[in-house]
Amino acid sequence: MATKKQEEMLEKKAKLRLGGGEKAIEKQHSLGKYTARERLEKLFDKDSFVETGLFVKHRCTNFGMDKKEAAGDGVVTGYGTVNGRLVYAAAQDFTVIGGSLGEMQAMKIANAQEAALKVGCPMICINDSGGARIQEGVDALAGYGRIFYNNTMASGVIPQISVIMGPCAGGAVYSPAITDFIFMVKGTGEMFITGPQVIKAVIGEEVTAEELGGAMAHNQVSGCAHFACENEDACLEEIRNLLSYLPQNNNELAPAFACTDDLNRENTKLDTLVPENPNKAYDMYEVIQEIADDGQFVEYQKYFAPNIVTGFIRLNGQSIGVIASQPKAMAGCLDINSSDKASRFIRTCDAFNIPLLTLEDVPGFLPGTAQEHGGIIRHGAKMLFAYSEASVPKVTLITRKAYGGAYIGMCSKHLGADFVYAWPDTEIAVMGAEGAANIIFSKDIKGAEDPVAKRQEKIAEYQDTMMNPYIAASRGYVDDVIMPHESRKYLISAFESLKGKRVDKPLKKHGNIPL
Amino acid sequence: MSKKFNITVDGVTHAVEVEELGGSSAPVASAPVAPVAPAPAAAPKPAAAPAAPKAAAQAGDVTAPLQGTVLSVDVNAGDSVKAGQTLLVIEAMKMENEIVAPTDGVVKSVAVKKGDNVSAGDLLVSFN
Repeated sequence: MATKKQEEMLEKKAKLRLGGGEKAIEKQHSLGKYTARERLEKLFDKDSFVETGLFVKHRCTNFGMDKKEAAGDGVVTGYGTVNGRLVYAAAQDFTVIGGSLGEMQAMKIANAQEAALKVGCPMICINDSGGARIQEGVDALAGYGRIFYNNTMASGVIPQISVIMGPCAGGAVYSPAITDFIFMVKGTGEMFITGPQVIKAVIGEEVTAEELGGAMAHNQVSGCAHFACENEDACLEEIRNLLSYLPQNNNELAPAFACTDDLNRENTKLDTLVPENPNKAYDMYEVIQEIADDGQFVEYQKYFAPNIVTGFIRLNGQSIGVIASQPKAMAGCLDINSSDKASRFIRTCDAFNIPLLTLEDVPGFLPGTAQEHGGIIRHGAKMLFAYSEASVPKVTLITRKAYGGAYIGMCSKHLGADFVYAWPDTEIAVMGAEGAANIIFSKDIKGAEDPVAKRQEKIAEYQDTMMNPYIAASRGYVDDVIMPHESRKYLISAFESLKGKRVDKPLKKHGNIPL
Repeated sequence: MSKKFNITVDGVTHAVEVEELGGSSAPVASAPVAPVAPAPAAAPKPAAAPAAPKAAAQAGDVTAPLQGTVLSVDVNAGDSVKAGQTLLVIEAMKMENEIVAPTDGVVKSVAVKKGDNVSAGDLLVSFN
C-alpha cells in the first residue's frame, strides 16, 4: 500500500509520461508517427530504457508561457541498451508544444550528450520539432549552440546518430549535420534551413516541404543524409543494425561476431563477372555481396553519388568499411559528389577503428567545366587526404581499371594501403590505351601511309605493354595478382594479419583537410 | 639648447637664434606602420552560367547522369518497360553506360537519337 506522497509521485509521473496528452498523441499517430516514448521503446532492448530529467520544466514567463505546461519540456532523454550495449538517446516530443526547443529542453539534450561522452557510448538524437521556442528568444539559441558544441566535441569520440522523424528546421539542422549518421523517414522527416513559406516570400520560388527537404531530397540530391527509410519501424531497426557495426567509442573496436561463413569460400561467380570488353559495365554490388560474410551489406548513402558505393560488411565477423567503384553508374568515375561521399565515409571508419576495403575499377575523374568550376580539385583532394590520413588497416582490390590520378586516389600503395591485390584483368595506367597511343605516337600515326591502321597498331602495342597489373606488381605497388575466386580468402587473411597495426604520426593539432 | 640659423628675406640675411623648449629628450614611441594593403584586384567576373539543358526535365523523366554520346536507343514511344530495363546507352569515359528505367511505365517520348551528344541533366526519355 503506497503512502499519500508515494501516490502523488506516481500520479505526477504518469501525467508527465503522457506528454502533450491523449489528443496530441492521436494526432501524432494519424500522421504515421510514433510518440517520442514509443520510438525509444522500439529503439532500445525491451524494458532497458531509463529516463532522466522527467520533471524538468521550462522557466519562461514571456507571452503567457508561465501558464503553459510542457511535460519534460518536450524531450525524452535517458539511456538503455541496444543488443545489450549501452546507448544514450534524446527524443523530441512533438506532442508537447510542437517539440519546440527552449533553454531547458536544450539542457536535457546537452546533459545526455555529455553523459554519453563521459561514459563513451553512442548518442542518438531523434528530431521531431517545430524549431526554436520563439518565446524564449536568445535562451533557445544558446541551447542550440551548446548542443552543436557538444556534437563537435563528441565527434570522433563516440558514434553520433541523428534521426529525422518530423520537422527539423532552421538552426536545428546543424546538430544532425555535425553527427556521423543521419537517418530520415520518407514522408515525415524533413530538414531545411528555410522552409517553403520563407522561400516563397523571399525569392518567389514554390516548392513543397518534401521536395525541398524530404528524405529523398537529402539522400539523393543534397547528400546531407545517409539513410532513407520507408517508415519509423524500419528506421529504428536499421539503426539497431548499424550499431552492430560500430564500436562504443574511438578506443574500442566494433564487436566481433562469430563467423559461420567459410573463410576460404571460393567466389567462383566472380571469375566470369568482368566482361571481356573493357567498355562494358558490370555490377560491383555482386563483388561486395560475394565477398562479405553471408552476403550482408549495410549501405551508406545508397542514393547519393551511385558511382561510388560505400557501406559496412563483415569479414570473419569483423566490421569492415567498403569503398567501391560502381562501373554501372557514370562509368564508376570519380567526381565531386563521389569524392565527398567517399571521403566522409573513410573518415567515419578511421575515427572508429573500422578497417577499409577498397574495390577499384575507376576510369578516372569526370572531365568538364561543371566539375572543374565546381571545385573537383579540392573535393578530389579530400579523398587523397582521407585515405592517406587513415591509420586503420587498408586493403585495396583492383578488379579492372585503375587510371591516372584516380588510381592514386583509390587507396593505392602510395597512400599507405597495407595490401593491394589485383585481378588478372587489371589495367593500371596513366590513361586508357587509345588516349595514350594518340599522344605518344601522334607523329607515327600522322606520317603513316594508313593512319587508321597505324593507330590501331599503336593502341594494341600500348595495350599489350602497359595495360596490365604486372608492371605495378614488378615495382611492388601491387602485392599479388589473384584469381577473382580467391578474393574472399585473400582479403580475410590480409585483414587478420593487420589486426595489430599501429601507426605513429607526427604530432599536430589537427591536419588541414581541404573542405 | 639653442640653434643658430641664417634666414634670408627679400635678399637681406638675418642671423636668428632659436631655442628649443623642453620635452626633447622624451622618447617617441613609434607605432609600427601598417603595411599598405595592395589594391584589390578587380572582382572576378562570374563564371558563365552553364548552358541550359536542352529540354526541361520534369519529375519522372529520365535525364543524362553525365555528358556523353548516345550509342543506342533501345525503346520507342509507346513501349511498356519494367523497372531496371535498359532504355538507352550513353558512351562516356570510354564506357557504355546503360540508362535504365527507374520504375515500370509506358514511354511517352524519347528526346534523343543515336549519335547525339548529351550533357548531364539533359532529358532523355519521358514517361506517361
